[in-house]
Amino acid sequence: MRHARMLHAPCPGRFGSHQAIALLVVGLVLLGPPGAQAQDELITTVRIERVKPAREKIPTLRFLKANRDFIRGRFDRLRQESRQEHAGAGELDPRFLAYRELLARIAAAKDSVRVSAEARERAELFASVSDLANLERELDLMERLLDEQRVRLGTLQADFAGRQRTELDVMITGGALEGRLDSVVVTLEDGTRVTAGLNETQRESLKHGGVFEVFRGLVEPREQVIAIAFHGEGWSVAAPGYVTLEPARDVLTFLKLDLAQAHPTRGITSVLAGTWQLDPTVPVFPRIPAIPTAPTVPPLPTVDAHQDQP
Amino acid sequence: MDDCARRSRNASRLLAWCVVGLLFAGTAAARNAPPFAARQGLELASTAAQSWSADAVLVYVENDEPLDGAGSSARWGYLYYSPSQERARVWSIREGRLVVAENLDMRFDAPPVSANWLDSDAALVAAEEGGGARFRKEHGGRLVNMLLMRGALSEGDPDVTTWTFVYSASGAPSLFVVVDATHGKVQRTWRG
Repeated sequence: MRHARMLHAPCPGRFGSHQAIALLVVGLVLLGPPGAQAQDELITTVRIERVKPAREKIPTLRFLKANRDFIRGRFDRLRQESRQEHAGAGELDPRFLAYRELLARIAAAKDSVRVSAEARERAELFASVSDLANLERELDLMERLLDEQRVRLGTLQADFAGRQRTELDVMITGGALEGRLDSVVVTLEDGTRVTAGLNETQRESLKHGGVFEVFRGLVEPREQVIAIAFHGEGWSVAAPGYVTLEPARDVLTFLKLDLAQAHPTRGITSVLAGTWQLDPTVPVFPRIPAIPTAPTVPPLPTVDAHQDQP
Repeated sequence: MDDCARRSRNASRLLAWCVVGLLFAGTAAARNAPPFAARQGLELASTAAQSWSADAVLVYVENDEPLDGAGSSARWGYLYYSPSQERARVWSIREGRLVVAENLDMRFDAPPVSANWLDSDAALVAAEEGGGARFRKEHGGRLVNMLLMRGALSEGDPDVTTWTFVYSASGAPSLFVVVDATHGKVQRTWRG
């Protein structure tokens, strides 16, 4: 304690420029990139439990369950009458027609760019100011096409990436301290069971910071218990673990299992688990700064301008 | 020493009361969940159903907690059927959250309800006018169940989606009122 105080005690007489620079470097390292810090703040540590958490049993559909024979009998009678509703043709989503138009515009834009590029290639050097003006026009055209492309991408982004459904992505990272992980089994509450096998390359990659996706799929937007089991040398005897998660509606939720400190003898609870959500906001495409061609070229007087001079 | 033991006993009692108080508060909070009309939970139930099975269709709705006078309940159960899985799964919603999700342990390949069914509050108005209010008044009864389904309890056209209202009173047979869930008209009533 005393030692610590001593370390933090100021010593102005011996505080040289080297120390100041070293502190600055340490400070910058600790601060890290702002994006990484924000990411860390979003990750919530979750606990992996050995015993499946018990849940209160809440009754539902009591009338139906109490009168199941009667109601089922009524439906059976209906089926015998074999009345079927004819499925009408649904209206076509107008967006699907718009996508075709978008593609046509992209193709047209590509043609324009190609024609411009070919023309530019043909001219080996700019002999006069008019060539520079042509170049400026071409750049304007490209910028306009890029703007249009940006708008189209925004439309597609809003239609697809913006319409996120409730999904869960389970991944593992890090190499276990002992044992060999051959496969990971994820079991959802509705009985969905996914087994992901790992080969030697993938295991080696995990040790060097690689991430392996075990499961990605739709889940119910509610609190639920997910069972995770590891199989492989040393791990097969370890009991499965249980993680309680509540995936938010229409959001992609990640669950990362870090094996860096995992040891088969300590079981699955030695795995560190963290969860976070994908930011659902649509990213804004940055505008490409215009190439300052015109300002750098000094305006030259035209023939007409000369004629206007008194 | 006695004083010390007494203090310890008092502390234990206080702790016990605190635990009881917290438990009671939790139960009361669950009981006091705000009631809502059936359609309000439909979107969330549908999201869950689509994550379970892409071809899941809504086949049945029932109040899972007591109904109020406006056709609202603090919890509704939504039953979906998946033809590809040949299974039915129910989600129960309270306070905008899925509090129950379970597979139905019975065969229930019912037809899907129509998309434009009247909400529980609007349908209740018709049921009350169609005999429910009179039954409650004459027998001191109350509305105990609201069931939305297609065909099973309708009369005539089996494709009609209906709300079935079950009124109950002690010492008297229950009253069933079936209301067309599209037009809000009483289809039939019976006692049983």
